[in-house]
Amino acid sequence: MRRGNAKWPLAILLLMIAAIAGCSAAETGGPPGVQRDGAEKVLTIGNTIDNVTFDVHDHGNTQVESIHVNLFEYLVKKDGSDPSKKLPGLAVSWEQLDDMTWRFKLREGVKFHNGDPFTSADVKFTLERVAQDPSLIDYSSYSSIKQVNVIDDFTVDIVTKQPDPILLARLSRISSGILPEKYFKEKGVEGFNAAPVGTGPYKFVKWVKDDRVELVKNTEYWGGDPKWDRLVFRTIPEATTRISELLTGAIDIAVIIPPADIQRVKDSGTTYYTDLESARVQSLLVRQTPGTVTANPKVREAIELAIDKQAIVDSVLGGAGVPTQEAIGPGILGHLPSLFNTNIYNVERAKQLLAEAGYPDGVELTLSSPASTKEVAEAIAAYLTEANFKVKLEILEQTVYKQRDNSNTFKELALQGKGNSMFEAPLPLEIFITENAKGQTDYSNPEVDRLLKAAAVNMDDKERESQYQKVQQILAVDRPRIFLYQNKFNYGVNNRIGFTPRADEMFYAEDIVLKQ
Amino acid sequence: MSKYIVKSVLQVVPVLLILTLIVFILVHVTGDPVTMMLPDTATPEDRRILTEALGLDKPLHVQYGLFLSRLLQGDFGESFRYGQSALPIVLERLPASFELAAASMIVACFLAVPFGIWSALKRNTFIDLLISGVSVLGKAMPNFWVGIMLILLVAVHLGWTPVSGRGGFSHLVLPALTLGTGIAAEMTRLVRSSVLEIIGQDYIRTARSKGLGERIVIGKHALRNALIPIVTITGLQLTNLVGGSLVTETVFSWPGMGQLIVQAVSTHDMAIVQAAVFVIALMVIAINLLTDLAYQALDPRIKYN
Repeated sequence: MRRGNAKWPLAILLLMIAAIAGCSAAETGGPPGVQRDGAEKVLTIGNTIDNVTFDVHDHGNTQVESIHVNLFEYLVKKDGSDPSKKLPGLAVSWEQLDDMTWRFKLREGVKFHNGDPFTSADVKFTLERVAQDPSLIDYSSYSSIKQVNVIDDFTVDIVTKQPDPILLARLSRISSGILPEKYFKEKGVEGFNAAPVGTGPYKFVKWVKDDRVELVKNTEYWGGDPKWDRLVFRTIPEATTRISELLTGAIDIAVIIPPADIQRVKDSGTTYYTDLESARVQSLLVRQTPGTVTANPKVREAIELAIDKQAIVDSVLGGAGVPTQEAIGPGILGHLPSLFNTNIYNVERAKQLLAEAGYPDGVELTLSSPASTKEVAEAIAAYLTEANFKVKLEILEQTVYKQRDNSNTFKELALQGKGNSMFEAPLPLEIFITENAKGQTDYSNPEVDRLLKAAAVNMDDKERESQYQKVQQILAVDRPRIFLYQNKFNYGVNNRIGFTPRADEMFYAEDIVLKQ
Repeated sequence: MSKYIVKSVLQVVPVLLILTLIVFILVHVTGDPVTMMLPDTATPEDRRILTEALGLDKPLHVQYGLFLSRLLQGDFGESFRYGQSALPIVLERLPASFELAAASMIVACFLAVPFGIWSALKRNTFIDLLISGVSVLGKAMPNFWVGIMLILLVAVHLGWTPVSGRGGFSHLVLPALTLGTGIAAEMTRLVRSSVLEIIGQDYIRTARSKGLGERIVIGKHALRNALIPIVTITGLQLTNLVGGSLVTETVFSWPGMGQLIVQAVSTHDMAIVQAAVFVIALMVIAINLLTDLAYQALDPRIKYN
């Protein structure tokens, strides 16, 4: 009887588990690739973070944008493989009237999800809101827009404060999702977040915070009958969990496959792996403030030559990167092929340079890194040590790192990854203008300043390209940043899905096919 | 007794006030939300504008005063991250957290109570060693690891449950098992020592010497007395769970309070941290009060006035 005490509850527990297992076998993926919901075509994507808001002007996140592009539409769309190419979206054609005025002809017969017609007033409202409200997070990317003039219901003029060669890049990203003026003003931000409305091929159904966003097909879509009946964007922050969901067929596409799991995705027989170069470049911020060890150009050159970038890409990143000496990569105007995918690793020359700089016995310096790139930082520290540097490695928690970054209190070296959501040169290069570099790297080169300021308002693409390329050549020698590698981003995809990664990391459901 | 309840409820007010002050100071002192919100391209001017727009440039005591005055109207302020009122966001997460907490406690009790009693009754035998050994092992295994192992074995390999997310009953199984077994490991030892203390008492010897069957001795007399410490332990563990469990929630993509709070703390999202701490404090106080009342029901010797 004493023995009986524990056995019954245990038996009941086991029976419960068995019952659940029996009931739920039908609920789970079953054989991957089988459509669970009968005739309904559902595309499920596993992201790492949740949607933050449906106010397109108040976030700066790529994963969030990748949900929004199915709800909202831009005037101008980036081509999936060549982001410098722009395609008609809600604007069917455009021309420049003068250096600061662009005329856009808008698509007719487009309706918002609530039935309101899309007209110039909505374009004016959307762009002026983000261009004029500094409390919105994406404001700084649009403050170059002075105003939007309505010419007629389907023609607008966008007027910029100065000649803006990258206006089309601004209009094809994040905050350029056209919002319905009347509905937005009626509902306010909170109301809009609860029931967002756009012109896109999919309509909002629900948002369960930190769980999922569900969209349903917009049967009135101007572009024809959308391919999928439902889109589900799930939030799955833990990598092993996300890949398990992919392998069981519960999700169709998983983002960010860690190096250790790439082989599992390739070998499963039900999924495939795919990747693409991103515009994100990892670099070392190098302080040039007079008095710092790294103010000496030979020391900076020695640092770069001491690091075997290819080895880091291969062993730490599992091959998901390309070594580089430039801030921008292929596909972006200003890219210089001679600085991309290079191998200048030479530890002997590095030691020599360090001795020539006056440090034959080596020198001390500090390398700071956020915790997310700890392994890369450790590898770099190891390489530098081999070249006679004495490295103090400082791994910082994300918020602390950001604060040090903003207050410019890094010592000699700081490891950073910089994205480029605009896919244009100004974002990564204008930090090297003297006024912007003050305190951060304290880099100053009048020639670089001249070239960058001229390029910013130069409407001639060919001239602009050579200006940016010259800047990159100078930077490769001056080394205010030592560029390390360009990241690749990757996905795991179920075999039933045909998916080609886009350079801008967006998920346009209309471009994702169900292979049958 | 109702005087006791009223007194407890009144004591809540100063406790909560002090809590809001502590949270306010801690969140402010440890960093700046504007830093976390803006993209890398933001200029110092952009930062200044946003700081002003959010009212963060005012002196601290003014900010706290504003916060308190809004609090009296039930408004915790707007979340920096979501741009929406903070309290509804926190309350939205409660059902998910409750579900997981309740299911985990059920699993924990189901395992800890019988095994704890059994190992107490079989003290110093092989059964006792086995159960104690397993519970030490259970405490040593991190939640994270147990969760991932269960996913790989049960969900991926066997396909018996979904991998993650919140949904029907089958979604609850693995997370509840993960969290529950961790708690059970700790509880088993506590149950065991409580029961040991009781079966050493005189009245148990009396009951046995009266000729009562072991089942009644243990089942009726010992168990009822052991319930008080067991209820205490259960209440304590429950208060640990109400704040959500970050690790389990992350592994199982469970949309609970744990993830919300940790994100809010790391982005210095003051309104959400305040609202969450407030709600959790209320729940902890409520659980403690219920536990106290449960004692009175279980043990007629205990009276409050």
